[in-house]
Amino acid sequence: MLPRRTRIVLAVLVVASLTFVILDLRGGDGPFSSARAAVSEVFGGVQKGATTVFSPIIGASDWWSRQRDQSAQIGELRAENDNLRLLVEMGANDRARAEALDELLRVAGVGRYRIIPAEVIAVGPAQGFAWTVTIDAGTNDGIEQDMTVINGQGLVGRIVKTTTNSSTVVLLVDASAAVGGRVAGSDEIGIVSGTGRQDSLEFQLLDPLAELTAGDALVTFGSRGGRPYAPGLPIGEVTDISGSAGQLTRVATVRPFADVSSLSVVAVVVRPPRDDPRDSVLPTAPATVPVPAPSAPADGSQESAATPEPTVPREQAATPVPEGE
Amino acid sequence: MIWRQGLIIATSIFVALILQLSVLSRLGLPGATPDLVVVTVVALALAMGPTQGAIAGFAAGALLDIAPPSDTVVGINSIVYLVIGYLTGRALDPRDRTVPISIGIVGLSTAGATLATTALSGLLGNPRVLWDEVPGLTVSSALYGVLLAPLVVPTLGWVVRRVTPDVGIDWVGTPR
Repeated sequence: MLPRRTRIVLAVLVVASLTFVILDLRGGDGPFSSARAAVSEVFGGVQKGATTVFSPIIGASDWWSRQRDQSAQIGELRAENDNLRLLVEMGANDRARAEALDELLRVAGVGRYRIIPAEVIAVGPAQGFAWTVTIDAGTNDGIEQDMTVINGQGLVGRIVKTTTNSSTVVLLVDASAAVGGRVAGSDEIGIVSGTGRQDSLEFQLLDPLAELTAGDALVTFGSRGGRPYAPGLPIGEVTDISGSAGQLTRVATVRPFADVSSLSVVAVVVRPPRDDPRDSVLPTAPATVPVPAPSAPADGSQESAATPEPTVPREQAATPVPEGE
Repeated sequence: MIWRQGLIIATSIFVALILQLSVLSRLGLPGATPDLVVVTVVALALAMGPTQGAIAGFAAGALLDIAPPSDTVVGINSIVYLVIGYLTGRALDPRDRTVPISIGIVGLSTAGATLATTALSGLLGNPRVLWDEVPGLTVSSALYGVLLAPLVVPTLGWVVRRVTPDVGIDWVGTPR
């Protein structure tokens, strides 16, 4: 049992409490309303003061949670920014590819070449001296050996090996490459051979008396059946001529139109045009093209087929869907 | 342990080959193409020893000869890289190798690879060889080798130690 004094204290307190309850339950302005008002007055002030004093701490936790939100937001924005930047860069890349494909379509359209676009996926090392690249189209795409490879600037090379999904191209500048070339605007022909250097080809005129000046453009003469070289493709521009007219061997240095050091989008000519496009594929076809040269009377039929037609090609087989995305 | 070493050799050579043919050679850097394959072979030889180096060199060279867009005689690179793998694995006691020495070995190897493959293919009648470009190519390939070495040699060394921790460098030499 509890000690007597404690029992008394407890009893008094319980009774007091019950009395409070009963008194307060009576409602109205009981004896407690003023007390309550006074107490709340005091407490309210203290609470206000406490809030003012401690607000930095309360705010800190608030600030902390906000900070966490913000850092998460920063992370999100940063990720979004990265994504957008990637998109922009890809956009530039895509534009470059689209331009390359446009150029390619111009060549293929004007010259009526049926082409299959492809992309360069590997390049042979420079110290091997072989100018060869791998493209991402093979026999599955209809590529066969000895087909012509072009890009938007002109002739690039020919296919030497094929697998089901890739092919090896020997570039025009390779020292083993040789292609029959014709001086644009005339009927002088010769042999263009690679030198192994990326910016120069060698052109040997068959007729030592033929006129040749620096700045003359060369186009392919065309192999039999269009293989390995389809006719009418721009090869390059004569930059230098050694030997004078009448000399036994006259060799000209030719700068190729296609920049082989930065090949990406190329196309394989799967079917050469029915008629030789002559000089029409050249970016700036010489004005003398439609006028048959007096030295070439037997060429009338071909000339008529060579009228430049910069219209939308009918025989456009190539859909510019870049592969290997 | 043999298959683990084989796995390291195969993987690293494959990766190096892809990078060299599809990335490094397309960068259009002046001079030679950075010879990552040779650097990898040397790194493997330094980390494993002459036998493994020779095997790695042979495999790498043969792959480089066969893989598109190669259009040269098959076997030239493989024999040159084989010799390089063996010699670099054998050249120096592993305890004597410091970082500059390893980098120097790589530079010599890439230059040697360029010279040797050119000479061999020239002897075999490759009409493409441009002899006046050989000095420039040799020097630039040595430079690229020296630049690649600090990246490749420690990385492959670490991988080899990590994957085959209980196999030391199989270096055959007089004990001291």
